[in-house]
Amino acid sequence: MSNESQQVVLKHEAGSGTPLTLRNVSVAYKTRKGDVQAVRDVSLDLRAGESIALIGESGSGKTTLGLSIVRLLVKSAQVTNGEIIYRRNGKEIDVLGLNKKELREFRWKECSMVFQSALNAFNPVIRIWDQMKDTAQSHGWKDKKAIRQRSLELLKFVQLDAERVIDAYPHELSGGMRQRVLIALSLLLDPQVLILDEPTTALDILTQRTIIDLLRKLKEEQHFTMIFISHDLAIAAELADRIATMYAGRVVEVGSADDIFYRPRHPYTLGLIRAVPKVVGDFQELFSIPGSPPDLIDMPSGCKFHPRCPYATDKCRQEEPDLVPVGPEHMAACWHWREVEKELQSKPLHSIS
Amino acid sequence: MALIELKNVSRTFGKGDERVVAVDNVSFAIDEGEVLCLVGESGCGKSTTGKIVAGLLEPTRGHVLFDGQDISKMDKESFRRYRHSVQIIHQDPYASLNPTQTVRQMITRPLLRHHKARSNEEAEKRAIELLEIVDLTPAQDFMNKYPHQLSGGQRQRVSVARALTVEPRFIVADEAVSMVDVSIRVSLLNMLSRLQDEFNVTFLFITHDLALAKYFAWEGRISVMYLGRIVEDGPTRRVVMDPRHPYTQALLAAVPEADPELARRKRRIELRSADIPSLLDLPSGCTFHPRCPYFVAGVCDGEVPPLVAIPEGGRVACPVRKDISIQLIEETPAAPAA
Repeated sequence: MSNESQQVVLKHEAGSGTPLTLRNVSVAYKTRKGDVQAVRDVSLDLRAGESIALIGESGSGKTTLGLSIVRLLVKSAQVTNGEIIYRRNGKEIDVLGLNKKELREFRWKECSMVFQSALNAFNPVIRIWDQMKDTAQSHGWKDKKAIRQRSLELLKFVQLDAERVIDAYPHELSGGMRQRVLIALSLLLDPQVLILDEPTTALDILTQRTIIDLLRKLKEEQHFTMIFISHDLAIAAELADRIATMYAGRVVEVGSADDIFYRPRHPYTLGLIRAVPKVVGDFQELFSIPGSPPDLIDMPSGCKFHPRCPYATDKCRQEEPDLVPVGPEHMAACWHWREVEKELQSKPLHSIS
Repeated sequence: MALIELKNVSRTFGKGDERVVAVDNVSFAIDEGEVLCLVGESGCGKSTTGKIVAGLLEPTRGHVLFDGQDISKMDKESFRRYRHSVQIIHQDPYASLNPTQTVRQMITRPLLRHHKARSNEEAEKRAIELLEIVDLTPAQDFMNKYPHQLSGGQRQRVSVARALTVEPRFIVADEAVSMVDVSIRVSLLNMLSRLQDEFNVTFLFITHDLALAKYFAWEGRISVMYLGRIVEDGPTRRVVMDPRHPYTQALLAAVPEADPELARRKRRIELRSADIPSLLDLPSGCTFHPRCPYFVAGVCDGEVPPLVAIPEGGRVACPVRKDISIQLIEETPAAPAA
């Protein structure tokens, strides 16, 4: 981490307003056993410069939702309902209506996605420079010298030894270095929105920290609009302004990071927070959530969390609750959120002991 | 007397230029009923150490003692008893169970094979008891299931039940809960803790996750490994609340916390280099010296620093910092992000 690398300043044009709006988005996978309702009726507004984290366990639909925004769903999956609207400089784009050519413009230039496994995202037989050059050229960027300069600048920004890395093959780089190259690549065409799917999973702790600090820099200094997808609550606590909890394909709670961590109103969010240990400080008791995530083909009736929920009543078994306001800028989909509130008043969540 | 003891154990792989020292001169002892957590990043030698303890790998140098007896000098019968007494639970419950066997077969067969049950009826009865111990209830419902019909957490419970068939005194759990969803993880850990409380099972718990290590081994001890060596060990409370080795401190400071305010207030430790050295070309002296913020030329890159006992408990392999405590949480909260 040389000092020189930290002086690189990117000229990022931060957006304004609401770059991305999801309205009642549903996604289903067709399988032989029936339709898998991976995402159900999700509505979210992403404000310019904010970072939002989608949290939830495997199968909650968070990655599927991310993929549907950049239209990278596999063939067997389909957006069955809803709208995805993207805005830049006062222009509105209906993402689901884009044709192939428009879609190519949209990806990378407007919205880019960084995937979970950094090794698989590269072509193993071409050098980093060629990956970057190809990406830029296929988006109509002709001047090779300018591409190289921009690439070097970005690699320096992500704290890599740019001159060495740019001519390396993917296998010559460690996992953490590859992840940083991917982040640099995603910034190449200066997109307005970045989607990062499990950006630090499978990395070692110290490497993970450098990636988190780098992403924080993108957020605080460059004001990128970002979506983090993670099963790890800690990533959300470190990087997100707002958090949306997903369960069985739905957003069951959304609010500021502090609301979600200190004043959760959905029993599932509360359950997750009580299940995760902290490293510093004294011992704390942990609680697990009974049962296991639902079968998405044959889902429970009513609220999908009711079989695992300590607050569940007959109403929960019959009717699925909608998101309702539970505080300023804070919504939860639970019939019994007031009871959760009451319980937390008598037993508040931490913070530092 | 210690149940398991490692004395100056080393293990190398490969030859010549390709030779890798995966475990370098590791010594520790675990008493009966105790929990020892081995933590470290990938490639630090923690799994290799676990396999050596379980008798699945032979050390290149050094000795493994079980009940005070060197396992390399045991006769056939004693070695068999040792192997039964030590069971290992692996990380991936999707790979460690035979997909063509039902839970009943997986549990009753070893019971019969190792004469822990004399008849099918007895094996059946014992299998149900074991499934109940690992909280797979009602046990009858699980007996006829195949692994693909079980969730990750349930599979891991079957692995544990299967390990319990031979009534082990010692369990090596190698990243046993890492692949399980967050909401289920705690109940698995609590189940393992109960084995320790109720059956006095001794644990070597291997993990890269310091928060899990702290939770599981709060009453036990932690050993921190880096590039094949133990750099610090001691009672969990001391290691977590008052870490002394710069590597332990860096790890604890780097772990992201699931608490926004804590994340803001946690101290940052800048390393001199972000890259982990190659095992094929290890730095001289303390292998952490090229990254260590407290590096002292001539001291850290010369001799390998030995583990030295400190009065607060445990041992630290750092002559420079072993007596100095640091704060991991800043006193005043840093300004929250705009």
